[in-house]
Amino acid sequence: MADLINVYINEVLVSVPKGTVIVDAAKKLGVNIPVFCYHPKLKPVGMCRMCLVEVGRRKIDRATGQPLLDANNQPEIAWGLKLETGCTTPIEEGMQVRTQNEVVKKAQKDVLEFLLTSHPLDCPVCDKGGECPLQNLTLQFGPGTTRFDYNDKQHLDKHYPLGDIIFLDKERCIQCARCIRFQDEVADDRVLGFYERGRTMQIDTLSEPGFDSKFSGNTTDICPVGALTTRDFRFRARPWEMTHVPSICTHCAVGCNLTLGTRRSARDRQWEILRVMPRQNEDVNEIWICDKGRFGHHFTRSQARLTTPLVRKNGQLAEATWDEAIKLVAERLNVVYGHVVGFIGDRVSNEDAYLFGKLFREGVKTTRIANRPHVAGADLVQKYGVGSGTNLGALGKGTVVLIVAGDVEETAPVYMLRLRAAAQRGAKLIVANARETKMDRYAANSLRYKVGTETQLVYGLLNAVNQGSGIRDQVAAYTPAKVAEITGVPEAEITAAGKLIAEAKDLIVVFGDEQPYDIMVNGQYTDAGRALPQACANLVVATGHAGKANNGLLSLWPHNNTQGVFDMLAANGAQWTPADGLKALYIVGSDPIGEGQTLPKSEFTIVQELFLTETAKQADVVLPALSFAERDGTFTNAERRVQRYYKAIAPLGQARADWEIIRMVGEQLGLKWTHYLTSEGVMAEIAATVPQYSGTEYAALAQVTEAWPPVGSNDLYFGGTAYDNRGGVGVQIKSGVELDGQSEMNWIEPPVPSAESTLHVRQLNRHGTLIDQSAVYQPRLIDAPIEPAQVLKGA
Amino acid sequence: MTQLLEKYPAEIEKILDKYPPDRKRSAVLPLLYIAQKEYGYCTPDAIREVAGIVGVEPTEVESVVGFYTLFYDHPVGEHVVQICNDLPCALRGSEQFLDHACKKLGLDKHKVEHGGQTTTDGSVTLESVVCLGACDKAPMMQIDLEYFERLSNEDFDRIIEEMLAKSNHG
Repeated sequence: MADLINVYINEVLVSVPKGTVIVDAAKKLGVNIPVFCYHPKLKPVGMCRMCLVEVGRRKIDRATGQPLLDANNQPEIAWGLKLETGCTTPIEEGMQVRTQNEVVKKAQKDVLEFLLTSHPLDCPVCDKGGECPLQNLTLQFGPGTTRFDYNDKQHLDKHYPLGDIIFLDKERCIQCARCIRFQDEVADDRVLGFYERGRTMQIDTLSEPGFDSKFSGNTTDICPVGALTTRDFRFRARPWEMTHVPSICTHCAVGCNLTLGTRRSARDRQWEILRVMPRQNEDVNEIWICDKGRFGHHFTRSQARLTTPLVRKNGQLAEATWDEAIKLVAERLNVVYGHVVGFIGDRVSNEDAYLFGKLFREGVKTTRIANRPHVAGADLVQKYGVGSGTNLGALGKGTVVLIVAGDVEETAPVYMLRLRAAAQRGAKLIVANARETKMDRYAANSLRYKVGTETQLVYGLLNAVNQGSGIRDQVAAYTPAKVAEITGVPEAEITAAGKLIAEAKDLIVVFGDEQPYDIMVNGQYTDAGRALPQACANLVVATGHAGKANNGLLSLWPHNNTQGVFDMLAANGAQWTPADGLKALYIVGSDPIGEGQTLPKSEFTIVQELFLTETAKQADVVLPALSFAERDGTFTNAERRVQRYYKAIAPLGQARADWEIIRMVGEQLGLKWTHYLTSEGVMAEIAATVPQYSGTEYAALAQVTEAWPPVGSNDLYFGGTAYDNRGGVGVQIKSGVELDGQSEMNWIEPPVPSAESTLHVRQLNRHGTLIDQSAVYQPRLIDAPIEPAQVLKGA
Repeated sequence: MTQLLEKYPAEIEKILDKYPPDRKRSAVLPLLYIAQKEYGYCTPDAIREVAGIVGVEPTEVESVVGFYTLFYDHPVGEHVVQICNDLPCALRGSEQFLDHACKKLGLDKHKVEHGGQTTTDGSVTLESVVCLGACDKAPMMQIDLEYFERLSNEDFDRIIEEMLAKSNHG
């Protein structure tokens, strides 16, 4: 623990680490000093003056350097002549702070009177009404009256678009700059600024395009008034009308914790999601989410959703009953015993994937299941992934993060915020890619290699560190000089990065799939696709960085539950073998045809989906599934944190949860599965039978811990309750090596690129089945992959 | 957008040379002088070009333009007349002086006091401003960068007429 310093807040002693500001020290005692510009996630600026407090410091005898004592042997206190801002003043030993006396109360009233001189009285129609810090603080600390002449109020633009999605109400703005500072300090996208000064000062942007940062929606959460609103939510509901349901984002592998604001519509009596807000989880997303997660919820109520089972009759898909559809499915799966293949997408829950694997193992008697899209290295992450207790928010000095072949900003946006912050705290980032990414801005070393030579580069780094005992002979050939020749990265940079890794106390290796090699060719997994994950695993094993908190592998998986689906299939012994002569193909939550791939030939195809995708159109039976918002379940994020989400809105039509449909099929096949009454029951079995998932029962996943800094309902930073984590912080499961202590290195010959090798690039805002349903997000979507700039071609 | 760079390459290079390469943003003010001199005010395109030259977001340069009252974000007259209307000046009759100035130029006092107004022929922009640091010589005004002090209404008429005559607007 850092040096503790004793201060007295309203004559109550509190000991806090050196450097703490008065507002935070008071918070430790439960004393709320009102603030507007201060936010615990941003640097203090002391602009709004709301946090003025009276501060006294010990008198010091200049001759001895000791505090002067009074008649009672207590230190003499010199009270400041003026009030000081509690948000910018760090505490000092023996400091006395008064936060509630008459002088302070007068100052608070005066500041609020000033702030309200031009604030409009449109609380009755304001989105923030009910969860507004300005409303709350005015009630608690403000004057009941104003001396200001109503006619001198400023009348300004109330619907000023800063970008495609965010609107500014210039009258409501109190110029606290939280949004500007967020863009600057957290998102690193300085597209907001102040314009003019004094009473006419306003937020504005002149950037092209305007305010369309990947994180813009967060500014509407931290705005302490209703000045910033989203096109998605503005004027649609009062905060108190909504039910807040804990959920997990389904758009990438970070697994951001969400709060879904839901309401039953008076118009059509349908439950709907009105707003998505981050839910505080300091181990995952803190209080941030990206805009795709915030605005990408509309697919849950899309008109295009499947609502009844469909069965092909006379060549056409026609509506059918569940009974009819399930009977047909079971009949076809039963007859063709052994000639069935399953595909399962990596967006479905752990429960779904587990039961699917079990259905195949026990009902269909085959293990021929593949997760889609195909990924390489999930077994390595299962084994050598970041150890339990890992928290990117705690990384700092002594930590090295190697990011290789991935674009963190585009594939796991919130990791960019967290890793950037880690770099600012002193962690060293080594960013290796064939092209420039935003992470290069925060890198201690930026290594630009020729397309397709990422594996050689990793072995070059390993060579520079040590030889790697299990694969010493092979690695010995990859000297920095030779690797420099292959990759185009200067030898000195390889050596320097190797030195960083060698000196690292903690090492996390983040790998993506931004490389040119196919993971599967002709139905067979390739060595080329697996070479990079294996090299990364070898690196963490060889350097002794596997199986510990804040150490190990972290993959930028393509979807929200890539790891979980892999784990669940592996637990059921699922193995992919190429298929021919198929009698049936059972596809859950995946659209291979829509992704431009071909399906193996099969006599009968079953598709379980949200939408009538290109694959579903070819099916003989289509079973309508539920979206994440209409059911309970769990996902395993990239850091292998198992997180629980809750049913938030009523199911659409006759659709059912994937696990429930699979249970119906299983029962029809004669399996005694009546004990799977709820998804909780399925998870209980997973926790009991899959060693790594021990301790992930729903009750454990629902546990919450006290969050620091607090931004929930018991403080003044946000006036509502949406940030509060009442759904659980989840459980980070142990890596395989933590369980068995066994690690090994394996050698896969690094693939050699050809001159035509091009990068597979994933981008956050590409069109997709789910995000296309969000009309509000359309302006952000892009058609084709942007030709990656500054790719280092080679070979 | 490289109009300024094409027209004033030497001046811009000289300005940039004054600052270390990683502190190029320090050159924002002098580059904006060039922009304002060229276009009469800081046009959005000029702001974007300056941002590009020093490597910051246009929004950051816009903030600078917005902060300083001597940078204009809209077209102004050929001459800008600023009358100080702060408390010491007001005590010495600057309000009446401003009334006269508005009448003389045919401008609306409310507009002059809220951001300034330009005559229809585009010759003069009149602004009411706070403290130009000449309280002891009030009423006073600043025309472009020149001070005129201890003024009467007649002084104003004479100075304005002379100025307009010089620039052929009279």
